Formats: sequence, C-alpha cells, structure tokens
Amino acid sequence: MTNGTPVHIKPEQAISEAAALGEKIARGVALFSKLRDEDVAIATTPKDEIWRQDKVSLHHYRPLADKKVATPVLIVYGLIGRYTMADLQEDRSLVRNLLKLGVDLYVVDWGNPSRADRWLTLDDYIDGYLGDCIAALSERHGVGKVNLLGICEGGVFTTCYAALHPQTVKGMVLTITPIDFHGDTVENRLGHGFINLWTRSLTPEDVDRLIEAYGNLPGEFMGSVFSQMTPMRTLMKYNLDLLEVVDDDKKFLNFLRMEKWLADRPHHPGEAAKQWLKDLYQDNKLINDAFMINGQAVNLANITMPVLNVFAKDDHIIPPATSQALGAKVGTKDYTELALPGGHVGVFVGGKSQALLGSAIANWLAERS
Amino acid sequence: MTPFDYMKAMAELWGRGGQEFAAAQQNFFANAAKAAGQESASGAPSAGAFDPQVFDPQGLTQANRAFAKLWSSAIEMSQTISRNMQAGESPVVGELLGKIFNPCGWFSGTDGMDQALQRMAEGPRLADMWDTERKMLTLFNAWTALRRRSLEHNTVMLEAWLQAAGKFAKDLNEKADRKEVLGSCREILALWVDTANSALLETQRSERYLTSQREILKASIDLRLAQQEMAAFYSEMFGYPTREELDDVHRVVTELRREVRKLQRASRDVQKKEMPPAKAPGARKGRSTSL
Repeated sequence: MTNGTPVHIKPEQAISEAAALGEKIARGVALFSKLRDEDVAIATTPKDEIWRQDKVSLHHYRPLADKKVATPVLIVYGLIGRYTMADLQEDRSLVRNLLKLGVDLYVVDWGNPSRADRWLTLDDYIDGYLGDCIAALSERHGVGKVNLLGICEGGVFTTCYAALHPQTVKGMVLTITPIDFHGDTVENRLGHGFINLWTRSLTPEDVDRLIEAYGNLPGEFMGSVFSQMTPMRTLMKYNLDLLEVVDDDKKFLNFLRMEKWLADRPHHPGEAAKQWLKDLYQDNKLINDAFMINGQAVNLANITMPVLNVFAKDDHIIPPATSQALGAKVGTKDYTELALPGGHVGVFVGGKSQALLGSAIANWLAERS
Repeated sequence: MTPFDYMKAMAELWGRGGQEFAAAQQNFFANAAKAAGQESASGAPSAGAFDPQVFDPQGLTQANRAFAKLWSSAIEMSQTISRNMQAGESPVVGELLGKIFNPCGWFSGTDGMDQALQRMAEGPRLADMWDTERKMLTLFNAWTALRRRSLEHNTVMLEAWLQAAGKFAKDLNEKADRKEVLGSCREILALWVDTANSALLETQRSERYLTSQREILKASIDLRLAQQEMAAFYSEMFGYPTREELDDVHRVVTELRREVRKLQRASRDVQKKEMPPAKAPGARKGRSTSL
C-alpha cells in the first residue's frame, strides 16, 4: 500500500490481472485468426433492386412473413452514414423485425456520391430522387400513397417531402430526426448536441469555403466530428474497449460489424451539405417554415397524415428536444411520440430498444393500415 | 509471453499514440526553427512573392512557447501522479499507470479532427517545385499557419488534460481521506475515464475550444486551396483539365440530368393520366389483416 493514496494494488493482484488479460488476448488472437470478412457482413437481409437512377437505387426486401400492413413502407436514410445501420446483423435488425411483423418494406440507397456529385442539392434528393422512388413504388403497387420511414437526415427528407406532397404520403414514421436544429439548447446536456454547437461556431462563409476546397463534405471529416462527441470512448475504443470483447465471439463480431458500418461513411454532396449546415443547422429554417425546396417553402402544418415520431432519450447527436419540436408544428391530430431508451445508434442495435422499435412501428402502421 | 509481458504490451498500446505525438511535436519544432532560421539568413523574398502578414514566425513561436510551458507542467503532474501511486508496488503496474496518465496519450485519441483535416489537406508533397516560388511560398505559409493553429488547439487540449489530472488527484486524495480503496488497475482507470471525460466535454463547449478548432478548419481550407492553385498551375502548363474545369463539367452534367428527370416525370404524369392503375405485385386476394 502507498501512504496517502487509496491505491492498493498488490503484486499478486497485478499478476492475476495480467494473467487474466493474457488469457483474454490469447483467446482473442485465436478468434481473430479464424474470422473472415463474410463473418462480419452487414445488411444481409435479402432484397432486390427494382429501380435505379444515376447513383440512387430502390430495393425491395423479400418478405419474411405474411403481409399485415397493406401499404408499402419506404425506409429513407440520410446522406451521412448509410442505411445498413437499420440491418446491421440478423439479431439486431429493424429491417428483419419489421419484415417478420408483416411489413412490406423498401429502402432507398443513395449510393456513393463523389466529387462529381458536388452540385446535387437537397432539392434534387427530396423532390427529385425521393419523389421518383415514391412514384415508382406507387406505380408498382397501384396505390396513390405510401408510408415513409425516415431515419436521421433521412427523416428530414421525408418530413420535407410529406409537407410538400402530403397527398402521396399515407403515414410517416420518423426516427432520431432533427426538426428544431437549435433545440440542443433546451436541455443543454453535457456532451449532447455538439454538432449543433460546432456548426453554429462556424460562419456561413466557412461552410462555403469548406465545400469549395473539398467539393463535398468528406465522410472522414464527419466521422471525426462524431468521434469528438464521445472523446474518451474514442480514446479507448481500440485498446481497452476492444480488450473487453476480444475473447467473446458474439460481442467481438458485434464490435467488428459496428466498425464496418462506421467505416462506410459516404461523402455528402457539396451543395446539399451547404443547405444542411447553413439553412438547417445554422439558420434553423425547417422549424420556422422557411426552408425552401425547389422554390417552395416547407410548411410543416401541411403534414396532415398520421405521424409517429421516435427519439432516443440519450441521443447525444440528435437531442430529444430537436425531434420533439415537430409535435407543435404538424397539421395532423394523429401525432404520436415514442421515447426509447438508449442513444442515437442504440435505438437500432441496442438489445432492448431495437426490439421495441420494430414492434412499435409495425403496430402503429397496422393500426392505420 | 509472460503475464508481465502482456501488461507491458497493454501499456505500450496505450502509450504508442502518445510517443508518435511527441515525436511529431519535436519534428515540428525543429522544422519551424529551421524554416525561421533560413528565412532570416537568406533575407526575405521579393515583396510580391511573400506576404509577411501571412507568414507569422512570431505567432508560431508564441504558440510554441505557450504549448511547451503547459507541456512541461503536464509532464510534471503526470509523473507526480504516477509516482505517488506506484511507490512500493510492482514496477510493471507503475509503468502501466505512468503511461495511462501520460498526457501524450490524451492527444493520441482526441486530435482526430486535426488529423483528419491534415490528412485531407496535406495531400501530395510539392517540395521539388521551387521554380514556382510565389505559389510555393503561399503554400508554405498556409502550411505554417495550419501548424500554428494546431499548436494553439493542442494548448487548449493540454489545459483540459491538466484540469482533468488535477481533479483526478483531488478525487484520489478525497478517497484516501475517506479510507476508500482502489484495488485494481481497472478501478483506477474507470475513475480516470470518468474524470477525463467530463473535463473534455466541458472543454469542447468552451468558446476557446470552438474558436481554436474553427481556426484549424480555416487554416486547413487555406492550405487545401493553395495546393489546388498549385495543381491548377501545372495542369494548365501540361494541358490537363483543372479542378475548376472539371467542376464546371460536373455542374453542367448535374443540370442536364435534372432536366432529364423533370422531363421523365412530366412524361410519366401524362402516361399515368392515360393508363389505368397497375395491380400490386404479388397482391393476394382478400383484405390484408391488421395487428
């Protein structure tokens, strides 16, 4: 024991800890040597491409149960990250959960935007590609309306689309979607809403010059911003966190699958990124009905279809208040909020939340089918 | 490998990033000193080719000095904490703790933004192109400015580390007063992670942090644009398309595609009015059931 300090690590304890660590590493090394890339495949639920335009493609998931929701549902992820989060692995998959509950499911894949896509705007994505996906889906099913399931930035896309074309949307489910981009100041929780704060610390000219220099919002740049939001987790991820799971097959594979998803971070097209950062994060135009798409203001009161708004109670990227702000603005009385435990990604992959999320969405859709 | 070796390996893993950081700092100081020395020895280039407002060796020196002062305090505190905790115990444990509380490790994990920006900005080395002196100096100035801003940002981070280390030491003392015991490396680490996380998150919300990070971003953009100007110069010289020309072409293609989509949509709407609605794929007879 050391006088004046509470640290009491005896040599035998140190040896014991070191031995346990050694065994752990040895088991981890053995496991790692057996693994192949296919063992950590993500987004494996079978699906078929039914439509394609430029780099954007629309896919239909093969059903896993009898249909219980008549109207098809289109999953719309954003341009930051990829939709594969909704289908990370077989036992942690919103996609599979919904399919098993009889939902007819589609997903739009935005592809891998490059510098050549610098000039694409949110108008192109929302009114153009998304609109065309919905038209293709309507035509395929012979229906006038479809259900939309927006995730994060994709939720902003579906919100804008639903406000601009309410006649084509039967119901809208939003998950972890920012609507009031200054809503981070409501709770002001430590470590929450850093992207909001960081973006507001820049000037509009900074954003313009960033896009001028890189042509897009580089995926690795956004990855760094996300890493800063959990500083100690980032610091320890590849040493202590990895050591925690390295000898447990299931946990280790989960870790690697999550890494695979994190590494697959597409670039965000430049002009669309300017709108995202300046019009929404800085000027907060969406909640104020001032955000313009193809010359039309997005008026949230035009959202007259049923809305299910799901948010994560501990979401440090999209603080709950930024999502909940939608409730006071929509033009429908059929508005439901669902608060789930966990954080931004945990809602989709966390043991408890991901099961709750799938059944809550399926039930909500079925009740309105 | 013996258990002690594993423990050492773990400590090495922790400290490796820190060593790289320290080496990078040393290289940087040496390069900056060399650059400043050459500048004063050879005399300033022509006024048209060199903008003294941009090249700021004094600013760099000040940033360097501030960082070095803090760095020395941080190292001292780190050594004190480690020394107090390891006295009389296994040297392996002492080594491990020493590395965990080494401020180098702090930087290895938290300058991700800085590294990402630098990776994106530094791109190809253009050191052999001194015949285009003016552009090269602009490029060099932009590089110097980015180094300076990085140093300033690291100073802010180091202050956060000092705060965290101070708070950690205080917590340890309080635990000792209360006769509480930390019996394993894991427990010590958990306390440190908790303390450090709070300090870092507080720092990230501060005006100083946000300002210094913004300055790094701006400096990295300046460097990138200076590099692009250089690349455009050579592209034009050898008849290759410049970035600007390619952007123009891409803009035209995007606008044309937009028009095509608009026409396709108009055509689809006309067809829709003329055709009866299609049947749903694989539609079953009877009504769907609800849950």
